Amino acid sequence: MPLYDALEGSGVRHVLTRHEQGAVFAAEGYARVTGKVGVAMATSGPGATNLVTGIADAKMDSVPLVCITGQVRTAMIGTDAFQETDVFGVTLSLTKWSRMVRTIDEIPEVIAEGFHWARSGRPGPVLIDIPTDILKAKRDFSGPAKFSPNTRPSDAHADGAFADTIVAFLQRATRPVALVGAGAKLSGAIPELRRLLDELNIPTFSTVHGLGAVPPQSPYYLGMVGMHGTRAANMALHETDLMLVFGARLDDRVTGDPARFAPQAKIVHFEIDPAQLDRVRTCELPVIGDLAETIPAFHAELRKLLIRTGETASLPDWSAWRTVACGAERAETDPRGLAQPTIRFLDELFSRLPEDNVIIADVGQHQMWAAQRYRSSSARGFITSGGLGAMGFALPAAVGVQLAKPETCVLCVSGDGGFQMNIQELATVHRLGLPIKMVIVDNKYLGMVRQWQQLFYARNYAETDLSDNPDFVEIAKAYKIRGWRVNEAAMAEFPVSAETADLIESFLRSPEPELLVFDCHPEANVYPMVPAGAALSEMVYEDIE
Amino acid sequence: MQVFHIRYRNAQGALMRILNAVSRRGIDLTSVHAEYAGHDYAVTMMLALSHKQSGQLYREWNAIVDVIDVRSTSAMREYEPGAWAPHPPASETGAQQSVRAALA
Repeated sequence: MPLYDALEGSGVRHVLTRHEQGAVFAAEGYARVTGKVGVAMATSGPGATNLVTGIADAKMDSVPLVCITGQVRTAMIGTDAFQETDVFGVTLSLTKWSRMVRTIDEIPEVIAEGFHWARSGRPGPVLIDIPTDILKAKRDFSGPAKFSPNTRPSDAHADGAFADTIVAFLQRATRPVALVGAGAKLSGAIPELRRLLDELNIPTFSTVHGLGAVPPQSPYYLGMVGMHGTRAANMALHETDLMLVFGARLDDRVTGDPARFAPQAKIVHFEIDPAQLDRVRTCELPVIGDLAETIPAFHAELRKLLIRTGETASLPDWSAWRTVACGAERAETDPRGLAQPTIRFLDELFSRLPEDNVIIADVGQHQMWAAQRYRSSSARGFITSGGLGAMGFALPAAVGVQLAKPETCVLCVSGDGGFQMNIQELATVHRLGLPIKMVIVDNKYLGMVRQWQQLFYARNYAETDLSDNPDFVEIAKAYKIRGWRVNEAAMAEFPVSAETADLIESFLRSPEPELLVFDCHPEANVYPMVPAGAALSEMVYEDIE
Repeated sequence: MQVFHIRYRNAQGALMRILNAVSRRGIDLTSVHAEYAGHDYAVTMMLALSHKQSGQLYREWNAIVDVIDVRSTSAMREYEPGAWAPHPPASETGAQQSVRAALA
C-alpha cells in the first residue's frame, strides 16, 4: 500500500491485472516484444508466490524482468507472520540475481543493479524483495543510482581468432547447416546474421524462439527444427557434418535423443552464456561472447578469405547438398497439400494479418501448429513460452505486447485448456480496451497430452477430457467482449467461402478486442512429430496405432 | 572425487546459488567449507561427479553474478604444483588450437 500510494502522480504507468501470474506474464510480453526490461509487482506471501511461474519462464527464455515483491516488516521476518513467504529463497534457483532490501538507503543502488543484471549478458529475471517498513520510510532522493559491475575473465569478449577455425571447418564440410535460436534476436544481431547467412547460403533452420530471425522466403531456410519441426530441417540436421549454432541452447525438444543428435556433425556454438554449452551435446568449438560482436568478427574473417582466394575456390560447392536439403521444404509449404483443417485455419488467419503484427501462442498443439505456419520475418513477431511451456501464458502476455505496441495487430492463439488458466485477464483486456484478437483452438481436450496418450498410451485419455468446456463466446460476452465461432467444415473449401473470409477479415480489423473460437477435431494431431527419446530422423507423419 | 574452490562476493544468496547448482543435479554435498578469504569469500567443496557434470557445474557457477573464480583439482592431487585446472569457459583463440580443431 505505501508503494501504491506513492505511485500515484509518479509518472509510472501501473496496469492492474486480475492475478499476479497475469501481471508477470504481461511484463514478459512487454519485455519480449520490446527487448526492454519488464516489471511486475506483487504483494507479500501469495502475491509473491504467484509470480514464481513467470519468473521461471523468464529464466528459461532469457527474458529481462524485474519483479518487485512486498515483504512483511523487517522485525517480523522469520516469524511466519501473516502473508510472509521466503520469496527470496523460493526464487533463488530461478532468478539471475535477487536482493532483499534491508534499509531505505539501499533502494536506489539495488534498483539500478537489478535492472543492470536483468538486461546484461544473457537477460533474465531479477527479484527485489522490500519489507513494508522500508516501503513506508522516507529519505531524500537525488536521482537514479548508477551501477558499474566488476568484470571477470569469463566476461571477456571473443577476439575473432576463432574465425580461422570456423573457416577451416567450412572448407572441409560437405553438408553444413546453420541453426538460429533466440540468442540471435536478443543480441540485436539479426541484420549481421542475415548478411552472413546470405553469404554462406547453407541450409538454415530455427528453434521456436528463433522464428523470424531468418526470412522464411530465404531460399536456404528450412523452417523450424525439433520435436514438431519440418521434415526438411530435421533431416538436414541429422545428416549434417558441420552445424553453426547461433544463440540456441540445444535443449531436448530440439535434439531428440542427444546420443543420436547430429551424429556426424562438428558443432560450432555461438553463445553469450557459457552455462548453456555442452548441456546436452558437446560442441567442438565454443564461441563465447555477444553475437553482436562474434558474428561480425567471423563474417569479416570470412570476407577476407573470400577476397584473398577468390570467391569460387575458397569454399566448397554445396549446391547439391542445398538442393537435397531444401527440396523437401517446398512440398511442405504448399497449402493445397495441407489437409489438416486447423493448419488451414491458421493459414487463413496469418495470411490476412496486417503487416505490423505480433502472434502470441500459448502452449500445446495450437502452439506447434502456429509455429509451423508462422511465415513472418519479424524478429520479435512470434512470442511463446518455449522453455518452461507454461499454459496460460498467451492471454496476459498479449496484454503486455499490446500495451507496448498499441498500433500493432496482436493475435493471441490459445487452446481451450490454456485459455482457462488465465481467463480472468479478459477483464484486464476489457478495462484497458486493448484490441487483442484472441483465438481459441478448441478441441475439448488437453490436446498435446491427449496426442501422447493416443500414440504412446493406447488411447488411455486419462484426465485430459475437457468436453464440458464452458461456452467461450458466452464467457467473452460476460466480459463485454464480442465472440465468434468457426468450425472445421468452414475449412473444407479451398479457398474458404466469402462468408468465412469476411468473418476472419472483420475479426482481425476490428478496433476492439474480439474472440474467435475454432472448433477443432478432438483427435487432430500435430505432425511431424519426433517421439520422446527418438532421433530426429525417426519422425512420424501420421497416426500410428 | 573432485575438489572445487570458488571465490565469490558474499552478497545475499551467492553461496546458496553455488550450492543450488550442485543440489539441483542430485549430487551429494560431501564436504563444504566456506570462509572469508582476503577481499572476497571462498567455498571449497568435495564432490563425486561425472566429467560432464563437472563441466556443467563449472559453467553454471561462472554464470552466477557474484562468482569471481572457479577452480578444481582432483582430491588426491590437490596440493601438487600445477594441479589447478584452467578456467574452462573461454572461446578457443590460439592458432594452434584452430589447426588442431580443424584437422581433428
